[in-house]
Amino acid sequence: MEIILPFLIGILFASGLYLILHRHFFKLILGLMLFSLGTNLFVFVIGRLTRGGSPIIDKTAETATVPYADPVPQALLLTAIVIGLGIQAFAIVLIKRVYQSFNTNDLDELRNAELIEH
Amino acid sequence: MLLATIVRLPVTYAAPIMQRIPGRQLLVPAALLPLVLFAYFCTYLSEIISGKTFSFAYSWVPELNINLAFYLDGLSLFFALLISGFGVFIMVYSAEYLRGHPLLNRFYLYLSVFMLSMLGLVLADNLICLFIFWELTSISSYLLIGFSHDNPVSRSSALQALLVTGLGGLALMTGMILLGNVGGTYTISELLTRGELVKSHPLYLPALLLILLGAFTKSAQFPFHFWLPNAMAAPTPVSAYLHSATMVKAGVYLLARFTPVLGGTEVWQYTLVTIGAITALLGALLAVQHIDLKAILANTTISSLGVLMIMLGIGTPAALEALLVFILAHALNKCALFLITGNIDHATGTRDFKVLYGLALNMRPTAVAATMAALSFAGMVPFLGFISKEMLYDATLGAGKAGFLIFSIVFISKVVAILIAIIIGYKLFWPRVSEPTPIHHPCGLNLTIPPMVMASAALAFGMLPGIMATPLIQSALAPIAGKTLFIELKIWHGLSLGLINSIMTFILGTLVYTVHSRIIEFSPRLTPLYNYGPNSIYQFFVTGLVKGSSKLISIIQSGYVRSYISAIVLTMVGLVALSLWNKVPLLNLTQEIKMLHDVRLYELVLLFLILPGLFFLFKTHSRLIAIAIMGIIGYSVALFYILFGAPDVAATQLLIETLTVVLFVLVLHRLPPFRFISHKSKRYKYILISALFGAMMTYVVLLVKQYPLHSELKQFYGDNSYLQGHGRNIVNVILVDFRGFDTLGEITVLAVAAIGIVALLRLRLEKGGKR
Amino acid sequence: MNHLLLLLPLLIPIYGALLCLFSWRNVALQKIIALMAQSALFVTAVLLLLWVNANGIVLTQIGNWPAPFGITIVADLFSCLILLSSTVIGVAVSLYSLYGLDEQRQRHGYYPIMLLLQLGVSGACLTGDLFNLFVWFEVLLICCFVLMALGGTRPQLEASIKYMTINFLASGFLLTGIGVMYGLTGTLNMAELARMVRTPDPDSHQDLVTMASMFFLVAFGIKSAVFPLFFWLPASYHTPPVAISAFIAGIVTKVGVYAMVRLFTLVFIPESDFTLLILSVIAGLTMVIGVLGAAAHYDFRKILSFHIVSQIGYMIMGLALFTPLALGGAIYFIIHNILVKTNLFLISGVVAKQHGTFALKDLGGVYASQPFLALLFGVSAFSLAGLPPLSGFWGKFMLAKAGLETGSYLLVTTSLVVSLLTLFSMTKIWNEVFWKMKPVAENTNTTEATPHLQFLYFPVIFLTCFILFISFFAAPLINLASRAAQQLFHPELYMNAILKPPLK
Repeated sequence: MEIILPFLIGILFASGLYLILHRHFFKLILGLMLFSLGTNLFVFVIGRLTRGGSPIIDKTAETATVPYADPVPQALLLTAIVIGLGIQAFAIVLIKRVYQSFNTNDLDELRNAELIEH
Repeated sequence: MLLATIVRLPVTYAAPIMQRIPGRQLLVPAALLPLVLFAYFCTYLSEIISGKTFSFAYSWVPELNINLAFYLDGLSLFFALLISGFGVFIMVYSAEYLRGHPLLNRFYLYLSVFMLSMLGLVLADNLICLFIFWELTSISSYLLIGFSHDNPVSRSSALQALLVTGLGGLALMTGMILLGNVGGTYTISELLTRGELVKSHPLYLPALLLILLGAFTKSAQFPFHFWLPNAMAAPTPVSAYLHSATMVKAGVYLLARFTPVLGGTEVWQYTLVTIGAITALLGALLAVQHIDLKAILANTTISSLGVLMIMLGIGTPAALEALLVFILAHALNKCALFLITGNIDHATGTRDFKVLYGLALNMRPTAVAATMAALSFAGMVPFLGFISKEMLYDATLGAGKAGFLIFSIVFISKVVAILIAIIIGYKLFWPRVSEPTPIHHPCGLNLTIPPMVMASAALAFGMLPGIMATPLIQSALAPIAGKTLFIELKIWHGLSLGLINSIMTFILGTLVYTVHSRIIEFSPRLTPLYNYGPNSIYQFFVTGLVKGSSKLISIIQSGYVRSYISAIVLTMVGLVALSLWNKVPLLNLTQEIKMLHDVRLYELVLLFLILPGLFFLFKTHSRLIAIAIMGIIGYSVALFYILFGAPDVAATQLLIETLTVVLFVLVLHRLPPFRFISHKSKRYKYILISALFGAMMTYVVLLVKQYPLHSELKQFYGDNSYLQGHGRNIVNVILVDFRGFDTLGEITVLAVAAIGIVALLRLRLEKGGKR
Repeated sequence: MNHLLLLLPLLIPIYGALLCLFSWRNVALQKIIALMAQSALFVTAVLLLLWVNANGIVLTQIGNWPAPFGITIVADLFSCLILLSSTVIGVAVSLYSLYGLDEQRQRHGYYPIMLLLQLGVSGACLTGDLFNLFVWFEVLLICCFVLMALGGTRPQLEASIKYMTINFLASGFLLTGIGVMYGLTGTLNMAELARMVRTPDPDSHQDLVTMASMFFLVAFGIKSAVFPLFFWLPASYHTPPVAISAFIAGIVTKVGVYAMVRLFTLVFIPESDFTLLILSVIAGLTMVIGVLGAAAHYDFRKILSFHIVSQIGYMIMGLALFTPLALGGAIYFIIHNILVKTNLFLISGVVAKQHGTFALKDLGGVYASQPFLALLFGVSAFSLAGLPPLSGFWGKFMLAKAGLETGSYLLVTTSLVVSLLTLFSMTKIWNEVFWKMKPVAENTNTTEATPHLQFLYFPVIFLTCFILFISFFAAPLINLASRAAQQLFHPELYMNAILKPPLK
């Protein structure tokens, strides 16, 4: 499985990015979510995998019994996932507001503020 | 010296206060400032003439060896006296010339700042300090040239002067830094003793060229001369000041000052003489084609500056002597003539000499001053102009190989001077006409005294050169020549070659005067030529800059998010590829392939949930299906976490995935149907970019994973979570204890997001939008 | 006591924000709290700087866990200087917001989020842990999102989408970069990372570390808006109200630069020619493209926004030259730029408050009508263009000198030409807004009285005083910046301070 996960990560990143490169808001947000899934899995996998062996110390022991999974990437991931939730939630509401304001689904129609005015 | 510094600061800071004081109340302090400075510098005269020098340094930024260091020797005193002395008259003159102007107070402020910057420039003993004053003159002259700011011509001329001299300034700064590095010091007086060291250094040439570039832009040398005639958009007293004793002389001062360090080499000589000669000739030719008195004078200034550069380039004692005398003579004549032009403009409202007649009738004092100044300008006995002209001729003829060629250029310049002198000194004022040009505003004493004094000074210096001019010029010459030279100025050399040349000049000048009207008629035909001149090139650059950058930026900053993202991702991929380019680490997959046997069935099942899910995600038209698929993918990933020993992460992931799906449905369910707005032509490009990016990420993971990881942290947390952190779930202990600080930030993010969502939903400053 | 001083820059904004949240409905109280919190932060930052100046690098371990295991809060001169300048503009912007921001936005969480943004800045400046740095950047990011969209006008929403998407990617890159670094070294503490990277390893992953550094280069490159990653900045900075864009424009990109400088001096050793070359290229292109963008635009704030990009190039140039003088110049430049850029944005706000527009073609006549404002603008604008003896000159000079000493003639030439073009676009504003006569508007909506206008001058004067101080009395700051650069140049100081006693 260790050999398959890196490829899965690549696929997640690629499909996330491909969706982001669409013009549609909705796809943009789906893409962002896939992208962050990919990021999380990336961090998880690159911290090395251990099958089973949760980083939980047995009731009977004082230190963790090897083999146990590296708890550090997990802790980082937990933080990152929660932060990601905050940002995604905001993004979703933002998209809604943009749609209400501009009445369009199309990112390409949002260029007015950037044009050069003489 | 100290005084000069002390005076500078309050005046610079006084700006906001001075806005409230009406201009007319400022004449006395404004004129008193240069007067006091002039008197102050005069007290040094006797000691400087006896060969002493003074220096004063105030530590400013010792870290960078930049100090407010000042140094007074003959050369700087010579210039300081010119600057402050002329300053008095310009201030007095402006009081009447700009009487009632609403911004007169600011005018005085800028003029004072400008004058003080010029003084700082000629007194500075630190390379960078000199440069700072150099730039201050640029910026204050920008404000002065653009003084009539309602007029677009003024504004663009001011900008032109600022940009051209600013370009030179940057070159100068670079040259100064190089010079300082080469010579090992930023102190000018120390550098002056290290000429040999500097000249033998490989960086001498770039340093020299950069400093020359700086001097050429400031002193309006070809091909940077064009800003000077345009700068006449400034009020006339400013032009008079800029053209006579200040601004344009800064470049001359700079090169004179650095002659012992940089001068004397072949590059120096050839560059200066060539550029000077072109400029002198060009200025003279341009001067004869104009009918605007101010434009004529401005172009003769260019010509004179060219002559000054030639003298610096020749560099013999005779040439340097002629240089200094000519600086003095030129300052007096040019300032007087400009002020007289100002008087004419003020009185009649025009500067076109073709419509000006018989002015002497109503403006007698101005007429007298004009004639005297013109005589000196033309180089007539017994004015200072004559002495200076003789010396220039002698110096050029003694210049060796190319002497005669140089002589003829100076000669042409002087012929044109005679022509101008006849126009201003005679034609405008004296010929009797039936209908003299009407006078609207009479010229008061403030307008007539300054030119009169200057013309008289030119006369006095000419009559009594030995007493008045020689000692000062001698002491100013010493620092340039590097040794004390005894010189003697004489008005009468006997029947020498110089005298014959002078007579020839006069005759030719008169002849040109007779055909002048034809030249002027002919000059419009030269206009196509100017379209390729430096001024047009400048305009081309400026408009090209704006247009070109508009085009470029509208391509780069196109407003399409997907092009931005493509650029970013490609940069990322490119940088990673480049960083591994030299030695591409090989992936050793054999180990991993063996692991394929280890794959469990349910792991594969998860994989086969995700991949088709992604496929349908691309294909679906329904938002709800898309959301559901996202949920499935998220849950599958969460299950991976469970399989690899991360139950906490998995739980969080499941929870969050659920929350997101719910949020999605709640918030976005009322959007219109899910349309495809595809971009078929570009689809393959984007697929390629995405694939590249995905491949890179896979590669990175595989690459990093093939090295063993010895994590100190894992070991430590495993050993100490329970014993010191009192928790059995290591991840939790890390989150709340070892790295509890992260959690603080995490909560902050959630809180801010919540506030943001509330604000976003409730605060709608624009009406409408909601359907 | 000492630990408290290190933690105060984090605690004050948290408590300030909490108090503001508790007084959600009472905007007047929020104003007072925010202003007091910002002022207290400013005082704290000054004290911290004095303390670090006297004692060298200071640190505290959160929860008393020894160095690589817990999170280290650490301050050296560089972080203190950035923190101090962020608090200066924090005070100025709070002052400006009192009368310069509409009531509606103030009612919807402007003050607490502003303080939390400041928290993000403090956290990013003071943390000694790579992942913690990420967390603070996320705090910064979400605060910026919210502020950017606060009010929900169409340009704001349009900008927010772009801002969000691109910065989301940047966070992703940052997190993956952190993952790679952890995967290579098994640690997150920056000092420990620095030591591991420097320890000669039998299975040396030096190449991989360089590769990992590219993730950070891109992530912080996006945050600090370098070419070709800057697109979000000109797309968004001109859209929110001035109080918001002034603060964000002043500090957020510079925190990105801070993080980049920190990591590329401490952890990634940019002595490899490759990294330095990349940085030089980025620096040069960033300067040029940014300034061309400024030349192209005719909107007060769009010009200023593109100038941010251009000026970031100078800061990266200091890193790319990689000598103590160049780093000192870059640090001085960052501080100068934080102050000047914020001030220019605030001035654009004062002008727009009176004339109702940011478009240069509709503005004019300010030179005659408000000479004092013209003076204030002149100081900042000419300082930005690097005219001596204003503050921009010193930074430019130090960088040019350092570049000439290392023989990077091309980069120096670029930087000087760019400074000329900066002057060009600053005089464009000067010409159009100040010198030109005010064009007669068809529908004169400019006569609307703007109450409390004089109060808007206070923050501008406040910042101008700082700018003038670091211009005319540049020596102390240059000295500090040089010593900060020396500290950066000797990472062993940082490592030894944190890894006490040095672990085996």
